[in-house]
Amino acid sequence: MAAIDRRWWIGGAGLVVVAAGLYLGAPIYVLYVANLLMTYAVLAIGLDVLLGRAGQFAFAHIAFYGIGIYTTALITNNTSLPVFVGIIAGGLLAGLVGIVIAIPATRLRDVYLALATFAFAEAAQWVFNNWDSVTKGPNGLRISSAKLFGYTITNDREAFFLVLFITLLVVAATAFIARSKLGRAMSAIGDSEHVAMASGVGVQRVKVTAFAISAIYAGVAGGMFTLYQSFIHPDSLGFDLIVLILTMVVVGGVGSMPGVILGVLLLGLMPEVLRNLREWQELIYGLILILAVLFMPRGIWGLITDRRQARQARNPAARPAPVEDAP
Amino acid sequence: MTIVRHTTKAAIIATAVALASNAQAFDPSAGTGKYTDPGITDKEIVIGLHAPLSGRLKGFGFDALYAAKAWYDMINKRGGVWGRKIRVIVADDKCSPTELVAVQKKFVTVDKVFLLHGGSCTHSAVAAQEYVTRNKVPYVMLNASGDSAVFPPTRYVFGAFGGSQRTVGGTIVDFAVRALKAKRIAYIAHDDNYGASNSAAGAFMAKKLGAEMVAVEKVSRKIVDVTAPVLKVRAARADVLIITTYTGPAALIVKKAHALGLKIPIVAAVQAVPIPALFAKNVGNPAAFTNFYYGSPLNDLTRGPKQQWIINMYKAAYPDRKPNPFMAYGVPSAQAVVYALMMAGPNPTRESFIDAMSKVNFNTGILAGPIELGEKKRDGHNASIFVKFDGKNHARMKGVYFNQYRGQN
Amino acid sequence: MTGTLILQGVASGLVTGSVYALIALSLVIVFKSTEVINFAGGEFVMLGAYVAMFFLVLLGLPYIIVVPVVALIVFCIGAAFDRVILDRVLGRHRPGQSIMVAMVIATVGLSFAFKGTVRLFRVSDNVRTLPPIFSTDPVFLGQVVLSRQDIAIFVIAVAVMVLLFSFFQFTKLGRALRATSENPRAATLVGIPVRRMRTLIWGIAAALSAVAGVLVAPKLLVSPDMGGVIILAFAAAIIGGFTNVLGVIVGGVVLGVIENLVGLFVSSKAIAIAPFIVIILILMVRPQGLFGGAAPIKKV
Repeated sequence: MAAIDRRWWIGGAGLVVVAAGLYLGAPIYVLYVANLLMTYAVLAIGLDVLLGRAGQFAFAHIAFYGIGIYTTALITNNTSLPVFVGIIAGGLLAGLVGIVIAIPATRLRDVYLALATFAFAEAAQWVFNNWDSVTKGPNGLRISSAKLFGYTITNDREAFFLVLFITLLVVAATAFIARSKLGRAMSAIGDSEHVAMASGVGVQRVKVTAFAISAIYAGVAGGMFTLYQSFIHPDSLGFDLIVLILTMVVVGGVGSMPGVILGVLLLGLMPEVLRNLREWQELIYGLILILAVLFMPRGIWGLITDRRQARQARNPAARPAPVEDAP
Repeated sequence: MTIVRHTTKAAIIATAVALASNAQAFDPSAGTGKYTDPGITDKEIVIGLHAPLSGRLKGFGFDALYAAKAWYDMINKRGGVWGRKIRVIVADDKCSPTELVAVQKKFVTVDKVFLLHGGSCTHSAVAAQEYVTRNKVPYVMLNASGDSAVFPPTRYVFGAFGGSQRTVGGTIVDFAVRALKAKRIAYIAHDDNYGASNSAAGAFMAKKLGAEMVAVEKVSRKIVDVTAPVLKVRAARADVLIITTYTGPAALIVKKAHALGLKIPIVAAVQAVPIPALFAKNVGNPAAFTNFYYGSPLNDLTRGPKQQWIINMYKAAYPDRKPNPFMAYGVPSAQAVVYALMMAGPNPTRESFIDAMSKVNFNTGILAGPIELGEKKRDGHNASIFVKFDGKNHARMKGVYFNQYRGQN
Repeated sequence: MTGTLILQGVASGLVTGSVYALIALSLVIVFKSTEVINFAGGEFVMLGAYVAMFFLVLLGLPYIIVVPVVALIVFCIGAAFDRVILDRVLGRHRPGQSIMVAMVIATVGLSFAFKGTVRLFRVSDNVRTLPPIFSTDPVFLGQVVLSRQDIAIFVIAVAVMVLLFSFFQFTKLGRALRATSENPRAATLVGIPVRRMRTLIWGIAAALSAVAGVLVAPKLLVSPDMGGVIILAFAAAIIGGFTNVLGVIVGGVVLGVIENLVGLFVSSKAIAIAPFIVIILILMVRPQGLFGGAAPIKKV
């Protein structure tokens, strides 16, 4: 107990220092990147809930993200409600749509589920582009500044802490779900559906729930988007984005939250690193995906944990003493 | 224990990085002495220049951006503006709204530029409007049409330096009615923001000139089979077909129109026929060009005599590169920036630059009409010429056509 | 009048549909044999068109040489992808666990790699086409008009499909390949070299895509994003039944006709969403498509 407590304290303190440093000292651009990465983190964690824990493949994620963005934006634009109402509404609406398509879709076998959700995502993008009266269609939708109890968020710096807060909330919720009965059921299904069914797990219900949770995450990420972005266009909600998030999850480490977050950081910052190789970015990106699948089936996090385990196996003295925390 | 150490180390490094990356906040040029705006010193003025430099839409931005840069380099060689050299920082906005805003935020808050110059795709250029207005940074688009960011006009954004999509739609209908005597117009556009803008302008001009839009078909950019829209055009008994799609779908439409026996004249917008010779090959049948016209915002054919000087300027700057047809479109906005910087006097501020831009009115030597801006006019160029193309030869049609639609859609 | 419109829409839809089907064929034979959905299917088509362009335009070689050369080159690429990458991924796979995620990512990665590579060459900056094989002269069938090119594409697509069907049904190699996909373990027991069969299938599918790319270049036009047509190929395969080689032609044709009818009687804008609505409807109502045999629904 004591060892774990200390680690969380130091980690938490570190986070506070970094956050304060960014907020106080960093230029807006850096804060923008931070906000964007946190949004992607929520998206990626949500995708991982479905993909990594419940083993379901779904391309529909970005459609739910879009639903979240447009819902929150429309509420912010047309009412003076505080923005968290909009964010919650976005999440819930996304979750609702998620349930509606999950019920029939999860009956399908893997590849057909992938194709069905892929078709849904493309159809959703078409709707965003053609439902002019609501989304302003191909002209894109302007997003007014978010309001929160008399305070208006006008730039990335002001949005930063709210975005951070939501991200931490999501992380905590995910950890909680993972440990819960639902989480264990999802893992069971992810490992083997037949075994899960045999041991009494209501497979269909759990799959739909996982879908809904994942959709809610995506909807909330959409709400986060509106805090620091002032424009959304349907072209931003296409196949490229789901591939990016998928890459982050896969390269980071499917099924593990620290892995996913690591993936978000690495791939989110990659364009900066490859700034001078911009012509090669698409090709490099494709190669990373292939190499990740080849050599890192459990992502970079998988590699890190493997090495740590190997080192501990070789050197038992380095293992943290398990019996330190006597009750 | 190791985790504790690692985390603490990470936290310290991260904080140091965060603070260091803001070291430019202590840049002496910002807010010192006589300069209230960043990006300007006694020796230089800094411009953030961006366009799509990679990916699918690279063709619209790459050569145009480097042409603008070449213009700035030429001005520098002649001594700069009021003794200051123009220093350009280049970035790739990928024609993506989120990427463009990110690039601009970096330019403004990290590189501390004086003004922003860039953007080749309307939907990404429009994304910047909120940000530049809130932060009072002048934003001059490169070659983007930028319709929804310049109609209605706002103080900090200038665009349409090659013409807006309203220009495209309005002039093409003007030409069809006045030059080709059309009364029943068929119009095929995309279901994107270009299509929305150019078809609105087209409809306005048709009504004004007493012609009827008998068929308006909006198709996806990825369309494969154009049979349905072309059949509907035929069934509507139009006497002219206007196409404002991109070149792939346009070629398919021209091909299909010919295959289905449509004998009416076809007028295509500039985005449909960027390289006429290639377009003819893609259509594959010279008989399809018996009655074919295309529009252009330039003052001549792309490689015509009036365009040679700008082609030579580009080639002198980049001897190993062959410019694409959109190259010249990048120059008028750079010309406008320089013009306004000169008119703003020896000690420009962002605001005085904007006031000067609002008075810009000159002939580019590249485009069909002048660049004209005003207090309430943020679209720079509004004219087109038309060319008859038989698959091999180009014949410039008489006249310069202007658009009159200034509404908002 | 409306009758003519419908007839023309159907006729043109048949031709476009055969394009979809030809491309979908590669997806189907790969899926039948390896249960993998190849998200790079469209990029193999694109690759075929560009490699052909190199030989045809740059080197000036005639089609009669270029087509087999392109087929061979892309065959090797497809086979290499299977041997080097998919093999390893499958080897790691534990029975009962889904390898789908890894497969999807590997093939999506491949599609990006192909696109990124092609975009490095200036020739890909503009939309192009290949030198014409067939003429675009019109052929009148009553009120309906099709070009010689259209008819040729349709006939060739159908011929290829029939050939492939016969190959799988009647030849020893074809039957061995089918056995490999239906029951790999039994196939190994009987002495069929399963791994080699899979590599062969990937090679054949890749070559097929490449040749399709050469054939349909005038209809799709050649650009790095040409592979986007794969979505329509997916739809065709789903309608027909993802495991049925002959079903694919029906699926493609049905899709091509639906697209045109939607364009004529709903709106041109709606054409873009029609394939996705079709996919969703079929997967909800009859996921095995028209000819797919047993429904791929999990019994949970």
